[in-house]
This record gives sequence, structure tokens and C-alpha cells, in this order.
Amino acid sequence: PETITTPKEEEPPMHQFIRKILHEDLQKSNEEKILRLMRKLNWDDNEVCSVAIQHLAGGWRVRASARRALARLTAELAAWQESVAPAVVDAILEEIRVTMEDPHPRYNQRRIATVRYLGELYNYKLLDSKDVFTVLYSRITFGVTNDHSNVSPLDPPDNVFRIRLVCALLETCGAYFNSGSSKKRLDYFLVFFQNYYLFKYSDPFWTEENKFPIYVNYIYQECLTSLRPKIVLYTNWQECKDAIEEIRLTLYPEMGEEEQYDNDDQGEDSAAD
Amino acid sequence: KDKKAKAHRPLTKIILRRLPPTMTEEAFLEQVSPIPEHDHFYFAKPDPSLGNNVYSRAYINFVNVEDIYLFRDKFDGYVFLDEKGLEYVGIVEYAPFQRIPKKKKKKDPK
Repeated sequence: PETITTPKEEEPPMHQFIRKILHEDLQKSNEEKILRLMRKLNWDDNEVCSVAIQHLAGGWRVRASARRALARLTAELAAWQESVAPAVVDAILEEIRVTMEDPHPRYNQRRIATVRYLGELYNYKLLDSKDVFTVLYSRITFGVTNDHSNVSPLDPPDNVFRIRLVCALLETCGAYFNSGSSKKRLDYFLVFFQNYYLFKYSDPFWTEENKFPIYVNYIYQECLTSLRPKIVLYTNWQECKDAIEEIRLTLYPEMGEEEQYDNDDQGEDSAAD
Repeated sequence: KDKKAKAHRPLTKIILRRLPPTMTEEAFLEQVSPIPEHDHFYFAKPDPSLGNNVYSRAYINFVNVEDIYLFRDKFDGYVFLDEKGLEYVGIVEYAPFQRIPKKKKKKDPK
């Protein structure tokens, strides 16, 4: 139904140029040169500025091998153009949000690439660990019911892709969450992530004939054990729920029984101790 | 103690989402003006590669926290129209990323 054929408008040459140097030409070896070209753009022109930001945010458009170069270029450019870094991160977080509101699998490859790119941007300090955790927690909470009898259209039982997205992000930058508050944040997050995993895994949707995909199980285990080699994974959902209850009582003893735990602030508070 | 104070700094940057994709910055400002005292404003054009999910959005960093609530009461759920008369219901939320550009502008010698 969506085949309305409007003649494609020719992109302005400047847009084509930005797209070409960032998404086709850029690689590790010519990064300096392309950075110089990017610095020479007319950043006072709103149109140019907005197109440049969009393409700098388009980490999913580049080959995996050029992803880190694009992140580094963005970080270096941000030293000269102050508005670039927040605008790029804002654009990526909005994309992540929009593609959660529309959980269609057509975005899956893009979702993975985008989340890895965000991880790279964290590695170049364009965002804080707490921002990465905001994304991680949104993946395991947005539209998630934690109740098998209450099926969420945003996170249907057969959709296990969010597990892969969490793993992809942790794979990209999780190794840096190894000291101070970010280490604690990760430790807490991993409990909540296990909870989400076990919620998905134990869904009655999966049966003997229609098993939970084994490769997702591998990715999950590999991810957790490479981050925390000594981790003992919870094997059933109830066990994990009990552990979360314990965390809640430790961190928020004043909270009433019915209150939901507030995922996002776990690390924050423990860091302030 | 400093750490604690820092952790509880209030959120001041909001995002107004799901604006009409064809909306211009000027048209947006015309509709929402006057924006209460703010030190950062950024209007983002949509990402056309998102297929059916193409929207414009705007970011505002407010100076006074109280203004956020007033702004939200007015524009969360506010119906914006595009030039064809299609309705877009705006959503006001705290921006997930609270950083804004630093004020002082360095001149790039290039």
C-alpha cells in the first residue's frame, strides 16, 4: 500500500558530499583528512549543520570497520563545534526510542549497529556511563510487563532481540564499567538483565517444539561471563526476582511493599555512599 | 557531599517529540512562543530513513524548573498541524541526555 511513486528529489550537492565522505570514504587511515574537511563545512548554515549532525549520528550507515573511526571523528569535531556532540547523542537516543515504539524487525540490523555506535561514542566520552545505563535499562523495561499473561505489543514473547541489543552494547563498552560507580551500576544492571532474560526465557510461548533460540542463550551467557568471569547466573526466574527484592530492601528500605523498584537510580545511590 | 548534590541536580532539558516532519523551526517557534527563560534551544529535523516514524523534535533547556511543568501542561498532548492539516500529537518528556553545548564559542581556525 505504501508504493506512492513520487519522483525522488535530487539531494543538494553539499548533502551528497557530507554523506560520501562520512559513509563511503571514511576509514581509519584517512580520518585526519576527513576531519579537516568536516571542520571546513559552513557550520553557521543551519541546513548544513543539521545534515552533518544527522550523518554523524548515522553510525548504522557505515561499515562495521569504520564505525569506530566515525565515533572518533565525531568526538574530535566536537572540540571545535560544541553543539555537535549533544545533538548527535540526542539524535541517536531518539532513534533508539522510536525503534522501540515500533518494534518491527525490519530495523533489527540497524538497531544493533546503532547501539554499538552509541557504545563507541561512550568510549570517546561523548556521553556518561549513566547515559549508557539509561539506554540499557530502557531496553529491559520499555513496554515490558514482567507478566506472561499480559502480553505487550512493544515486547512480544517471540521477540528476543532486545537481549541481543543489550549484549551488543555491553560488548562494545561494558569492559570499561570496571571501577567505581560504573562497576556497581553494571553489577546491579546484570541482575536486572538476568531478570529480563529469564522473564523472556520462561515465557510459555516457548515449548518443546518451539524452543527458545539457543543462539540467544549463547550470546547472553558469553556476554555476562566475559564481563564478570566469576558470575553465577540465576537459573530460574523466581530466584532472580528474590535477588531483586533483596537489592530493593538494601537500597530503599523505606519504600513500601507495593512500590516498584526504580531501575535507573540504583547505581546513582550506591555511588553516593 | 558534593557528589550527592550533583546526583540530585534537577533535570532541566526537555524534548518535545512527534512534531510534524515538515515543520520548520520558524513555524515551531511561532506556535510555542514565548518559550519561558531558557539557555538552550535546538530544533531537529526528522531522520527520513525511519520510514513510517518520521517526526521533528525540539529540545529546550529551561532555566527555572517550575517552567517545565507549565510547559508540559501546555504542550504535552498538544495537537500540532502540518500544512496539509494532518494532526500530530506532541509529547513532552525529560530529554534522556541532559548535556547541552557549552556557552563559549571557540572559533575554529580550520
